[in-house]
Amino acid sequence: MKTLAAHTGESLRTRFNWQIVVTLGLILGVGFLVLLPIAFLVEKVFNTGDPLAFPADQLGLGNIKALFEEDIEVFVDSFTVALMATVMAVLIGFTMAWILTRTNVRGRERLERLMEVPYYMPPLVGALAWAILASPKSGFFNQIWQAGGGKGSIFNIYSLFGIAWVMALFEGTVAYVMISASMKSMDPALEESARVMGASKFRTMLTVTLPLVLPGVLGATLFVFAEMLGAFAAALVLGVPGRIFLITTSIWSSVTTFPPQYGRAAALGLTLFLVMVVMLSFYRWIVRHGSYATITGKAFRPRPMDMGRSAWLLLSLCLLYVFLAVLLPLAALLLTSFQTFATVILSDAKFTFANYVTAVSLGPVRSAMLNSILLGLGVATIGVVAMALIVWIIYRSNMPGRGIVEYLAMFPAAVPRMVFGLGLLWAWLNMPPVPGLGPLYGSIWLFGIAYFTVLLPLGVRTIAGVVLQIDKSLEECARVCGASWGYQMRTVTLPLLKPGIIAAWMLLFAASVRELGASLLLMGPQTKVIGPSIVDTWANSGTELTAAMTLIQTATVLIAIVIVFRVTRGISREMV
Amino acid sequence: MTSNDPDTGTRIAVENLVVRYSREVVAVDGVSFTVAKGEHVTLLGPSGCGKTTTLRTIAGLETPSSGSIHIDGRTMFSTAERTNVMAEQRGVSMVFQSYAVWPHMTVFDNVAYGLRVRKKSTADIKENVDRALGLVQMRHLADRAASKLSGGQQQRVALARAIAFSPTVVLFDEPLSNLDAKLRAEMRVELRELQRRLGITSVYVTHDQEEALAISDRVIVMNVGVIEQIGTPEEIYNRPRNRFVADFVGSANLIKGRVRGAPGPDGVIAFETEGGQVLQAIASGKLTGKETEVAVRTAYMDIGPGNPGDNQMPGVVRRRMFHGDFVQYVVDCGGIGNGGGQMIVRRPPTNLIDEGANVVLSFPATFCVLLEA
Repeated sequence: MKTLAAHTGESLRTRFNWQIVVTLGLILGVGFLVLLPIAFLVEKVFNTGDPLAFPADQLGLGNIKALFEEDIEVFVDSFTVALMATVMAVLIGFTMAWILTRTNVRGRERLERLMEVPYYMPPLVGALAWAILASPKSGFFNQIWQAGGGKGSIFNIYSLFGIAWVMALFEGTVAYVMISASMKSMDPALEESARVMGASKFRTMLTVTLPLVLPGVLGATLFVFAEMLGAFAAALVLGVPGRIFLITTSIWSSVTTFPPQYGRAAALGLTLFLVMVVMLSFYRWIVRHGSYATITGKAFRPRPMDMGRSAWLLLSLCLLYVFLAVLLPLAALLLTSFQTFATVILSDAKFTFANYVTAVSLGPVRSAMLNSILLGLGVATIGVVAMALIVWIIYRSNMPGRGIVEYLAMFPAAVPRMVFGLGLLWAWLNMPPVPGLGPLYGSIWLFGIAYFTVLLPLGVRTIAGVVLQIDKSLEECARVCGASWGYQMRTVTLPLLKPGIIAAWMLLFAASVRELGASLLLMGPQTKVIGPSIVDTWANSGTELTAAMTLIQTATVLIAIVIVFRVTRGISREMV
Repeated sequence: MTSNDPDTGTRIAVENLVVRYSREVVAVDGVSFTVAKGEHVTLLGPSGCGKTTTLRTIAGLETPSSGSIHIDGRTMFSTAERTNVMAEQRGVSMVFQSYAVWPHMTVFDNVAYGLRVRKKSTADIKENVDRALGLVQMRHLADRAASKLSGGQQQRVALARAIAFSPTVVLFDEPLSNLDAKLRAEMRVELRELQRRLGITSVYVTHDQEEALAISDRVIVMNVGVIEQIGTPEEIYNRPRNRFVADFVGSANLIKGRVRGAPGPDGVIAFETEGGQVLQAIASGKLTGKETEVAVRTAYMDIGPGNPGDNQMPGVVRRRMFHGDFVQYVVDCGGIGNGGGQMIVRRPPTNLIDEGANVVLSFPATFCVLLEA
């Protein structure tokens, strides 16, 4: 008896050590991936000598000084755009959240799903589509205006407001998701008790609902503002033609012009990164300390208010948003992609399949598409395994280092994709070739590393959501029933996790295919991926081919997302 | 500690168990007790008292900081021997508070789990699952998906699953706390019945004192990580050792004062209340001279003169509350007793006494228990 006990004690200790090894490995591995680019970014900021020398042969504050002397306008424009876009996005988000959670508008369930669609569309879709719709002179709106006898252009999307408008349309859905979550987590009894005490509907709204929802709205505002500052697609497609440069596009242009201004790019990147860190820390603080409504963590379905006839008005508001953010852009792209030149005056239009034929047959484009899908498959498959391991260490083990693992895994969320790509570019330019793979710079492997790192927060959050839903006692019960760790994983944990893991895989796949910010600076002449290729095509070839390529990309992503919805709906049906 | 029946033998022995989460947070602080074969022992205490943590260390789901746990003489955990047997090798079974019924399996698969782990034959599995489901009256739902069960049904499945592989020890972690009052009362009777019939050794955790008293052979009252008292339900109720037990289990009147003189031959002592009245009380332990309170159960106070030799206290009925099963009177005894000299008395609802009536409260010395300081 005693020897048996001693033996099992022994095996327990070895398992314990194995967990330490995995945790340590994760801290080192993830830390290396996440912090290396930032280290190189910082190095470049203070490097005032030869920009390509590493380590720097001359250090100084010249790059930061230059920032204050020459780039003030960039910052002013960026903040103006972000502020305008945030105000609009939060307005959209709040209105939609209120309509869809608190009123009895018809078809709410379906609308809720539709509201999430813009979130999954590739970032270029909105920007390109609105460029087609509202660019000066040749934009569809202006074409109609001129056909109707109007003079000149009445719409100009190539403006600060234009950029903000498109950003707001697509970030509006993020604000919606966050605000509606805080509205749903509010116990309806809190409002009902105010009504019972004699408060009117309006007074209840003012004294109970608003204060309870306010932290959620404030959190969403900060989060959206930070995202807007780091956004790239709209700033590029809509800003550059009108000579408007925001922080992200300035970084891009300093790296891609000749000679490249690496110092300026690094200084801009680091500033943007620091601003985002401050914003997101403040956001986290609000979420943790300022929110009363989320304390219970329970989701309620508040009793919807009867809106009577105005329900129709609210419904049309929702539909208008979906129309502007989803249907109109996709329709414009679709129409353009089948034409030899883009026009909305259908009598002038010449329809053709040539754009799609070119998109699939043109060597670089085809290889870019293929590379993106390959990367999606690889990153999703390896990512899911690695991220599941990270999640298990963070939430189910009691390793002392698990807090560090969580922090590192969530760190990329605070780094703008573009800045991350910049740091990674420099880091791997200076890295020795990896044995067996050759130099990573310019190879598909670098994209793999970049995607895995920037998608860590998304993957970890998604899998953690599923793991946390599984009551720990479901696993413990299996152990007490006599199951070994492996048997328990096979019969209880994995079957329960399966739908969540499939969903995470699809999300990672979709996110890889639509990636733009980090890919843009990593793309070399040999290895192309779809996001930056679309930008190239847009800059060098016609809008029509670009539209066709964007739609192919969107279709790939949306198919993956539809599968996610199918699978996750399966879970909720099974679990109820 | 109370002594066990000598011929039953010990099944579980917990010694000096300490569970420390950090330097400041100690969940369990030196707990020792034994559970005899076939005995049903309940850990009772308020939330955060360490009762669930203690149970989980027995199951092997939590690792103690020090101490030892033996089951059937086999070391399950011991800091001295550097042994920690993994949960799946301890051969105990457990019913979880959340039931932990696996939603992706049928009722049958859930109950068969422990048998399949033990690689029993198909016929064996079928027979044992049938028997277990029969015991909880769930045989007709064997093929239903576990996710389609009501709370009470899940509770029964969890119970059947815990006993299906004939474990020697079953641990219960507040298994009835998620059921409504009526179902809870029914399940209480069923659990007690089942436990008697199968002769299972069980450790049961609850914060419901009524439940603990009703279904246990012995009750262990815990508070802030330590054991306050161990005893049969009657001992715990009739002879609370200290203020915490008197207050937490049942309802009691606490009367402040001090001990007068040495105890008599039958353990009876004289206790002078703050109001100057001398009561006859009994002391369970050794006297230290620092005792300041006696406890009298509200149900043991009679209204009326009582038997000769009983303690007597005159007072005025201030409030009468009709509870159905009993009537609660608040009697003002002029400065003695808890909170402004008011005594709570619970009597059967047969003879109602009006508010404002002058009464005499009486209770024998054996029900007036001196509490440890």
